[in-house]
Amino acid sequence: MPTEDFYIRYYVGHKGRFGHEFLEFEFRRDGKLRYANNSHYKQETMIRKEVTVSESVLLELKRIIEESEIIKEDDHNWPEADKIGKQELEIVIGDEHISFNTGKIGSLLDVQESKDPDGLRIFYYLVQDLKCFVFSLITLHFKINPIGNDR
Amino acid sequence: MSNRDDMDEGQGRLRSTVNRTDQSGRRVKGRGFGNTKDEEEDRYGGKFDSMEEDETTGPIRSVEGWIVFVTGVHEEATEEIIMDKFNEVGITKNLSLPLDRRTGFVKGYALIEYEKKEQAEKAIKELNGTELMETTIHVDWAFHGKTEGGSRRGNTSNRGGNNRRFTRK
Repeated sequence: MPTEDFYIRYYVGHKGRFGHEFLEFEFRRDGKLRYANNSHYKQETMIRKEVTVSESVLLELKRIIEESEIIKEDDHNWPEADKIGKQELEIVIGDEHISFNTGKIGSLLDVQESKDPDGLRIFYYLVQDLKCFVFSLITLHFKINPIGNDR
Repeated sequence: MSNRDDMDEGQGRLRSTVNRTDQSGRRVKGRGFGNTKDEEEDRYGGKFDSMEEDETTGPIRSVEGWIVFVTGVHEEATEEIIMDKFNEVGITKNLSLPLDRRTGFVKGYALIEYEKKEQAEKAIKELNGTELMETTIHVDWAFHGKTEGGSRRGNTSNRGGNNRRFTRK
């Protein structure tokens, strides 16, 4: 278990014709991973899963976050959340605590055209790597498609 | 579990991203510290499914097998190379080898599923600390029971987050 404080949470969602649809996950320092995916599309229902991961998993997650250098970035100039959606990324590592908000990012083009392409690009790729990390864990442990198609 | 600690950390209603220090002494940054909680019920309410028994300690079984977590994987490793190595100790049922989304190279970790616990145990015992493509790999369980032999402190008082929908119980 990492000795310093550690926490990460990511949320992406929007409110639209199918209600409040979102995906959210968090890792706590004690290894608890919680994952929720609420999609009303095609009568999908809420998926909520939790499992405790090992210290090795937490350390790898921490490595990915640290190598991204996201902590050095700032969401000040990132696109605001809007009707299309919102993303939140909250990370605590040691004595650093970030809680970034921005809108949904459709593609790299949105990144390039933003006021802070370098910072937003780091966020854009980190979020994809984090989702991939969580999906791998959830998929293998629960044998579900975390995107929600086979439930 | 009380979520009082959730509430008192969210006091900084800063719209800007000025660095400041919160009560725990952390440097905080970002627009999320002024979040409203209007979506909290949607996002938090309800029960989370789990495979774990309350009293389980040590590694736990996944739905169809036992998962080991490998780190230190070379960025040019392939599924075939990993499978060759991990099939030495038992037949692998599944492999997940995620790529770095920016570079397209292997991100550095892999998840491997064995049908039997003994196979996974053997992988951890025999392959942890060995070399694969001239880098040292680490092999460990991916999942544990909620309490791990007393080595985890049940600290819930000093976690991060001012708007953690999940952490209330």
